[in-house]
Amino acid sequence: MRVLEVDEPRELALCVDEQQRRQRVDTGLMDAVAPGEVLLVHAGTALAREPV
Amino acid sequence: MRFVQEFRDAGLGRALAGEILALMQPGRTYKLMEVCGGHTHSIYRYGIDGLLPEEVELVHGPGCPVCVLPMGRVDDGIAIAHEPGVIFTCFGDMLRVPGSRGSLLEAKAQGADVRIVYSPLDALGIARANPDRQVVFFAIGFETTAPSTALTLKRAKAEGISNFSCICNHVTIVPPLRALLDSPDLRLDGFIGPGHVSSVVGARPFQFIPADYGRPLVISGFEPLDVLQSIHMLLAQLAGGRCEVENQYKRVVAWEGNQRALEVMAEVFELRPHFEWRGLGFISQSGLRLSSAYAELDAERRYAIPDVRVADPKACQCGEVLKGVIKPWECKVFGTACTPERPIGTCMVSPEGACAAYYSYGRYEREREVV
Repeated sequence: MRVLEVDEPRELALCVDEQQRRQRVDTGLMDAVAPGEVLLVHAGTALAREPV
Repeated sequence: MRFVQEFRDAGLGRALAGEILALMQPGRTYKLMEVCGGHTHSIYRYGIDGLLPEEVELVHGPGCPVCVLPMGRVDDGIAIAHEPGVIFTCFGDMLRVPGSRGSLLEAKAQGADVRIVYSPLDALGIARANPDRQVVFFAIGFETTAPSTALTLKRAKAEGISNFSCICNHVTIVPPLRALLDSPDLRLDGFIGPGHVSSVVGARPFQFIPADYGRPLVISGFEPLDVLQSIHMLLAQLAGGRCEVENQYKRVVAWEGNQRALEVMAEVFELRPHFEWRGLGFISQSGLRLSSAYAELDAERRYAIPDVRVADPKACQCGEVLKGVIKPWECKVFGTACTPERPIGTCMVSPEGACAAYYSYGRYEREREVV
């Protein structure tokens, strides 16, 4: 999922998937993420980065 | 989108299939297990099996979290869902999984407050919004979803949210693989390793497969070219007399996995001595439960649950499908009494289930013609 916005203090990111569905994602298991990055997300939690 | 379209190029797929053919040793057959239900889905969605030579057989593994859940655990969840005042939350594909006396969907129809959530964090949000109700999350999945549950429980504890709890059905992937390798029913030549689980656990936990059992494993991505390349890598190992763990999915999977995820899982969970798997029976140290530090958030301690082992329906052969002993279409009820609309077995419920994948992408008709 591609990161649109980051809420760093709450370790959350607003992301969008291939079908343009927006979802709130927990980024607590990742180093700081930035808008534009693509994340592997499972059950609402980011697990890894995917190359852009 | 890059890394989506590039990995679905039909021309490159056919070229890879030709290279796989070139690696084959005359007179030899190859039986490869795709461990993950996501791979099963990709294989039948994109017709990857149709590109492969007849001598390469793909066998479906136990890596669909819904499929391996035994009926007794569904019954436990339904019992909690019927508790007065409980809001019971679960992933959507759990709703139609049959227990011994119905499903969560039927429990909802009978008045239980059962709600679908996208993530455990959403369930925690429901708990925050309903402080006068008890909210229970039905956690399922392998090491891909377990970190999300662990992180949510950690946040619930930190915030002191007392009306949230979890019934934990998380399982780990290595013990069932070892059980399959120890089984006399199945002779495998190699494994297409689980890509998303490996993003958490890394590659190291799979090294026992080449070391102890002499079988190669290639961690694979989920696009069609990922799967074809992984099959090519497996056959290249076999042709070259090598046997090791390789990582085709390097663009996502780090060899060491996600250390933060492993740490939070180690804090929140502990291994159960035994856990029952549909079709595979009880496997030692294969299931997770909440650690003593999180006991107050454990729904199994908060509520009385039946905790009874329930045998699968006699007609259902999900167990043999999950062990790769039979193909979905060889099950007696496949496509007749058991369909995605009215499933008898779990493999027909989840999109990652082998039976649902066969049924949804037309393999039902094709395989019936072969018969």
